[in-house]
This record gives sequence, structure tokens and C-alpha cells, in this order.
Amino acid sequence: MQPLRSPYNPIHIPLGLVLWSIWFVVLYGGLSVGCALSPPDPIQGQWTWLNGLLALFSLFTMTALLGLARRFQRAARDEREGQPARFVARLAAGVNLIGAIATVFVALPTLSLPPCL
Amino acid sequence: MTTPSNEQVAAQEQLHDQFNDVWGNPRGWKSLTIVNHTTIGIRFMLTGLGFFLFGGLLAMLVRTQLAIPGYDFLEPDVYNQVFTMHGTVMMFLFAVPMMEGLAVYLIPKMLGARDLVFPRLSALGYWCYLFGGLILCASLLLGIAPKAGWFMYTPLSSAVHTPGPNSDFWLIGITFVEISAVSAGVELVVSILRTRAEGMSLNKMPIYAWYILVMAMMIVVGFPPLILGSILLELERAVGLPFFEVARGGDPILWQHLFWLFGHPEVYIIFLPAAGIVSTLLPVFCQRPLVGYRWVVLAILTTGFISFGLWVHHMFTVGIPQLAQAFFSAASMLVAIPTGIQVFAWIATLWVGRPLYHVPMLWLVGFLVIFVCGGLTGVMLALVPFDWQVHDTHFVVAHMHYVLVGGMFFPLLAGIYYWLPHFSGRMPSVRLGKWGFWLVFIGFNLTFLIMHWTGLMGMPRRIYTYQSGLGWDLPNLISSIGSFIMAIGIATVLLDIVLHFRFGQKATNNPWNADTMEWSTHLPPSPYNFVSLAPVRTRHPLWELPDLEERIDRGEFALTVIDHGRRETLGIEPLTGKVREIIHLPGNSWWPFIASLFIAFTCLGLLSKFYWVALVASIVAVLVLLRWSWENGAHPLAAPDARVQPGEPPLHSRTCDGPGLWGMGVTLLANGALYLALLFGWFYLWTVSPNWLVPDDAVIDQRLLLASAVLLSIAVLWQRPVLRRLRQGQGEPAALITCFVGAALLGALHTGLLLWALLAGELAPRATAHDAVIVVMLVYSLAHGALATILSALQALRVHHGYVCKRTPYEPLVVEQFWQYSLAVMWITYCSVVLFPPTFGGV
Repeated sequence: MQPLRSPYNPIHIPLGLVLWSIWFVVLYGGLSVGCALSPPDPIQGQWTWLNGLLALFSLFTMTALLGLARRFQRAARDEREGQPARFVARLAAGVNLIGAIATVFVALPTLSLPPCL
Repeated sequence: MTTPSNEQVAAQEQLHDQFNDVWGNPRGWKSLTIVNHTTIGIRFMLTGLGFFLFGGLLAMLVRTQLAIPGYDFLEPDVYNQVFTMHGTVMMFLFAVPMMEGLAVYLIPKMLGARDLVFPRLSALGYWCYLFGGLILCASLLLGIAPKAGWFMYTPLSSAVHTPGPNSDFWLIGITFVEISAVSAGVELVVSILRTRAEGMSLNKMPIYAWYILVMAMMIVVGFPPLILGSILLELERAVGLPFFEVARGGDPILWQHLFWLFGHPEVYIIFLPAAGIVSTLLPVFCQRPLVGYRWVVLAILTTGFISFGLWVHHMFTVGIPQLAQAFFSAASMLVAIPTGIQVFAWIATLWVGRPLYHVPMLWLVGFLVIFVCGGLTGVMLALVPFDWQVHDTHFVVAHMHYVLVGGMFFPLLAGIYYWLPHFSGRMPSVRLGKWGFWLVFIGFNLTFLIMHWTGLMGMPRRIYTYQSGLGWDLPNLISSIGSFIMAIGIATVLLDIVLHFRFGQKATNNPWNADTMEWSTHLPPSPYNFVSLAPVRTRHPLWELPDLEERIDRGEFALTVIDHGRRETLGIEPLTGKVREIIHLPGNSWWPFIASLFIAFTCLGLLSKFYWVALVASIVAVLVLLRWSWENGAHPLAAPDARVQPGEPPLHSRTCDGPGLWGMGVTLLANGALYLALLFGWFYLWTVSPNWLVPDDAVIDQRLLLASAVLLSIAVLWQRPVLRRLRQGQGEPAALITCFVGAALLGALHTGLLLWALLAGELAPRATAHDAVIVVMLVYSLAHGALATILSALQALRVHHGYVCKRTPYEPLVVEQFWQYSLAVMWITYCSVVLFPPTFGGV
């Protein structure tokens, strides 16, 4: 079995979408808690502290996922590794990339809608 | 290829006879003890067929009632029971178990293994499914069936609005059935990762196994929120704990969250294995590999995850902020992309191949047409303004049937026709099969295509009749006629399948010229699948090695010695498929049947409010399960003869990484999903419950809780060095017994303190949802503490009997995971109940 930190360990295959899921829960939960504790004035529209915080968090998550995708893609190119290991790394790179795209797509409404209406 | 001599044939037959002695299925009453995956898989499917016919009959009743306006064929109350049971039976008793049954049957054969990794768990799952389903269906015959819709929205399903046992049947029956789903999920995950053929690395795995792996993981994570929701709602109905009642601090929307956290992934839990059938069959009928294997794997994984981010799209009308709705709307559109990738892969495979339009292919083409239409209306429903317009109308009913019937039933029938030779050794009839397909296809579209318009004209779902003159008369009549045509089609298919057992042509070996390993067994297969276990280093073993079946049958490959009396299969390294150990499997056993029988008595006791019966039955069920666990590892009944052939790897019970370790890990994942759903409920109610009631003073002795958590921590830490030495092949029996007895004593103290805190506290769980949630959290930790205590005490006893020692170190490592999980849960509970409230306006 490959060590846990190796990019060829199959545990990394779902990593990107696990991170996406955590981000998604924090996004939805954060919005609900923000609206319950300190709802921004509706007049502000989408330009509120809450939208900004959620957008920044999404940007951070997307960057991290893209970074991981790059790392796994590089690992997948290493011809010293066997086919199964490279398959895992390539799959993990794809999953991270999809996670990054899904993050951007789902977070886009933070730039256009007020948070608590 | 040379013709075998008479001596070789005789030796071959003798070998098969020896295997039958060990693997054979008993007859008569003893057939209740069978644990073999082939039999269990077939039982799942036949039982699923029975429930499908029952659910289909209910659909006919619904369509008869709605055929003309003002009809009084069914009383309103009966109608409510009928449509609720139709949805419940089809979703919980047909779709999921049928797909699991097929997977249970196929997965070991496709992976080149002899059985699933926990055969007794498969059997337990089957009996729980059968008994739970029968209890649920019996309620309809007694006229006390659930009647609040298949998603049991509260307050309609609460004791106030639905008094009587109707909702209880749903909540208890479905929870019982879900034991089956989750156990099959655990079983399939571990089997796919650990018991493939030698050399079958992840990238060479049949595509169907990828689908089932993701489906099984989705079951493991997706079903527990509903199990929790059902437990909470039943506690509210039976004991008065107000989790969903606004006046006492609960919130009915919490039920919707818990239900749909399960409910939406459920759609994909049904769809993914069906798509797996499509991806398996299309290449066979096109006689070329699936286009874009890696893309399809990526799409399966993506679907599995993104489908968990859609649940709120079923709740767009409950008053959620627009921004939150937009998140779920975006995720709902996003999930169409991986499905689209698969559709394009299938079309490309058809394009580059030369498709043969045999009966299974008809069902596949029907699937493509209907499912794509259902997917498109799904994207329409993902748009919030459109969803608001058609919410709770027949449009949604039509969409759901396009997705579920198109996405599950059509591929399932394609699969059944394709694998029929496996069950009977005979081929299906082309003429009757085509008649069956076209009748179902035409009937289905007549029913549900028209229903889209009925919905767009404003007809709500779940009304037992309607007035004339609203424009709904003709479309409803057409839908009803269509449903009867569909029923005739299904009857034709069933007739074809029944007749083929008698009149079908004998199937040749690998009759469709398929590429996967399940066609290298006998038709029908023997209980052990393969007399020798062949290495597989390609995705298409039967295309590349056409004589594989003969070579397997001649015993040319691994594990052909069986005079030790063990059932065994190879355990592999998950990534590369290198052989690591021999996994010895348990034989036929009464324990699964007996355990499920007592769980059924527990359910009946709860339903009839004879709580002492339920208590006694549940205690007996636990005792039976513990007795079952005794026959494990190095117990003589688990491995009658522990010797292996020279050059063979060790038995898994003599290693530190057997499948039980993985099974415990995956089970704890399901358990963790349930606990996370409970935590979600706690924080959700704190945040948004409209009437959340927080007591003025602390309702529980926090020092007792802290002391209890510290004791549990000491117990876990104490075991660590001993278990580390055990992994290194050290540890005398006396030291092991001291360790396990000590851990059990500490566990007992921890449990006692927790019980004390619970009983001595000023909790009023019937008065406020706040206290009710705390009680559930503490009882959850208490149950874990008690079970960890018992397991360690049993380990000490097993050391005493010589079943656990430095040569057989496996079991304490499995139990260790449970201790660690219990510890994590205890501290999270402590933080949530004691440390969190003061930061959020509580005490």
C-alpha cells in the first residue's frame, strides 16, 4: 500500500470532492448562521460583509483545489510509476479540477444576490 | 486446445465434488442458513420482484381512481394509504434492494472472487429486508398503512395529525429495511476494494464495479440521516420528544432536511447501478470497449458527490433565502454534466461499434430516450422560478417517473434479459421480449408524457379526485389507459421470463460474447463460482483470453486445495491487485436468520406498544449478534484448519489487516454520518428554530460528563501500547487479558458515569426540543460506551480461549477502531452540549 501522503494512494481519488463537500456545507451553514446572528441590511444588496466572506472563502477553496489538481497532474506524468498509480493520480487531478469548477459555479450567486432575503 | 483425457475429466469432477461439499447449499429448513452471495442475490431480486408487483398493483388502483373526474372507486383515506405505499414500496422495497441484489449476485463473479467478504452480513441484510417489507405491506392489508406521502412530512405525519399506528409502520418498517441497505453497502465497498482477482488493479476493474463502489458508499453515507430522522420522529410520536414541534422548540423543516439529505442522493443510488448496467451491456452489444473509461469513472465519482449538494431543491418553496436557493439551483444544474458525460460516452460507443439490436439493446435505447427527457425536465425543475410554478403538481410526478422508470427500470430489464442465461442456462425469446418492450415503452410514455401537461395545467399531486371542466379529464383518462398498457407490457415480459425457463434455447458458454468474468462461470453458476481463481490483468479478460473458462474449470489457477474445509477467496492490495492474504469466509449459519427474527419482534413490539416485548427482543437480538461474532477469526468454526499450502499467503485472521478492519471502518463511516446528522439537527435548531427554548440553568452535571469523557480517554490510551506491540508480533496472553479487562472496567465506569449524569440531570426532554436532543446525544454515547465495554470483555475471553494472541492479532485491532470512534463522539458531544451553548446565548 502506498503511504498516505503519496499522490498515488487511492484515498486521494475523492479528495477534491470531499473538500468541495466541506466547502459546500460551510457555505450554506455560514450563510444561515450569518443571517441568524447579524443579517446585513437588505438595502446593501449583494455588497455585504457576508457575501464578501463567502466569496473570499470560495476563492480560497478554489485556489487550493486547483493547486491540488496541479500536484496530482504532475504526479500522473511521472513515468517511473506503474499504470495503476498513474491512473489514481490522473483521476485525483480530474476530481480536484472538477471540485474547483463546481466551487466557482455554485459560489457565483454570492456576487449577484443579497444574502438573507 | 487439447481434449482432456478421461482421467483428467474424472479428476476435474472430483475437484468440483470436493468444492460442493464445502460450498454446497442445503435444502429444506436448512436453506434458511444459506449465506452464499449467489443465493442471497437471487433472493433479493425475487423478493424485490414480489414487492414490485405489489407496488405496481397499487399504481393501477391510483390510476383507476384518477381515470375520470369525481370517481369514488377508492375512499379518500384509502387513496392516501395507497399512493403513500406505492411510493414507499417502489423506492424502499423495490428499487434499492433490487439493484443491491443484482450487485450482490454479480460483483464477486465480475471480480473473479468466490463470494462477498461478509456472507453472513448479506444474509442478515436479506432477512431484515424481507421481514421489514412484510411488516410494512401488512399494514395496508390491515387498513392502517402510512398515509402521509412517501416522504412523511411532519406535522402531517405527527401523532396529532395522524394518530394511530399508520406513520409508525413507515418509520419503524423503513428503518428495519435500511439495516439491509446499509449492511449491503458496507459489504459491497469492502468486497470491491479487497477481494478482486489477482492483478485486477483499480484501472482494470470492470466499469460496473466502479458504479457499485460509488453507489455503496453513497448508501453508507446517505441512508443514516433518514435513519436518524425516522428515530427522532418515532420518538416524538411514541414518547413525546418534540424535535419537530414548533411550540416546544422543534422545527418541522428539520425533518425535510434530514429526509432530503437522504432522498436526493437516493435517486442517484438507484440510477448509478442502472447506468452501470448500461455501461456494461453497450460495449458487449457493440463488440468494442466502452469509449472513455476514465471519463466515465470521473463522471461516476462526480455524480456521487455533487448529488449530495442538491437536497434543498426539494424545499424551494419552504422559505429559504434566495442566495441559498441559488447555491442549490446551481448544484442541481451542475449534476447534469457528469450524467451528460456518460450519455456521450454511450453514444460514442454506439457510434464506433456495430450494435446488435437484441432484446436487451431495445431496453437500453428506451432508457436513453426516456432518461434524457427526464434529465431535461430535471434541469427545468432546478430553476427556482419554474419550480415554484409546478411544485406539488403532476409535472413533478411525471418528471420523477421519467427519471426513475427511465433511469432504473429500463436498464434493469436490459440487465435481466442479458443475464437471464446466468439464472436459467437458457436464452430469452426475441418475439415475446420485443412485444413486452414496446408495450411498456408506449404505455409508459402515454401515461407520463401526458402527465407533464396535466401538471402544467395545474393539477396538484396527491388529490384523490377532481372536478370536471378543469381541463384535466382527457389527459387523466389517457394516462390511465397508458398505465394499463404498461401493465400489460410488464405482464408480457414476466410471461416471457417464466416461459423461457421451460422453452428457452440452451445457452452456450458466454452467449453474448461478453468481456467480463461473470461469463466464465458455469451457467447457472456453482455456489463457489470458480474452482480456481485466475489472475486478471485486463479490462476485457474474456475477449483477450477466450479459453479462460476451461482453464479455470481445470483448476489451473489459485486456491484449488479444499481438503481443509474452509471457504476462501483471495485478499488483494486495493490499488494494484497484488495478493496479500487468503480471506477465509464463514459457512452457512442460523445466526443471521435468528438475529433478524428478533429484530422483527422488536419492531412488532414497538408497533403494538408492547414495549417490554420490544426490550426483551432487542436484548436477545444483541446477544445473538454477539454470539455470532464469537465464531470469527481464529475460532475453529471460522477456520477449521489454519494451514495453507507452501507459497500461499497467510490467512487474513493471522494478519493485521483483514477485511473486518475495513468493514469496521466503513460501518463507522455510516455511524458517523448518523451522528453528524444529529449534530446538524442540534446546531440547526439552535440557529433557526422559531421557538427555541434554552433553560436558564445547566440541565446536566457537567463535571460528570467531563469525568466520563476522561475515563474513556484513559481506556483508549491504555490500549494503544499493547495493541502496538501486538501489531509487531509481541504480547503475552496475560498482558493482553489485563489490558482488555482493564479497558472493559474503565468503559463500564465511563458508561456508569454517563448514565448517572443522564438520570441525575434536570433534563425535561418532553418539554423542550433542547433537552430532547441532549438526551439523544447522551444515549448515543452511552450505547457506544456500553458496546465498547462488552467487546473488550469478549476480547479478554477470546485471549483466554486462545482465539486472540500474537499469531492472531487481528480482532483487537478491529475493536480498537470502535473505541477510537466512541472517544471522538464523546468529546464532540461534550463540546457541543457543554462548551458551545455559552457562546451562543445558552448555559
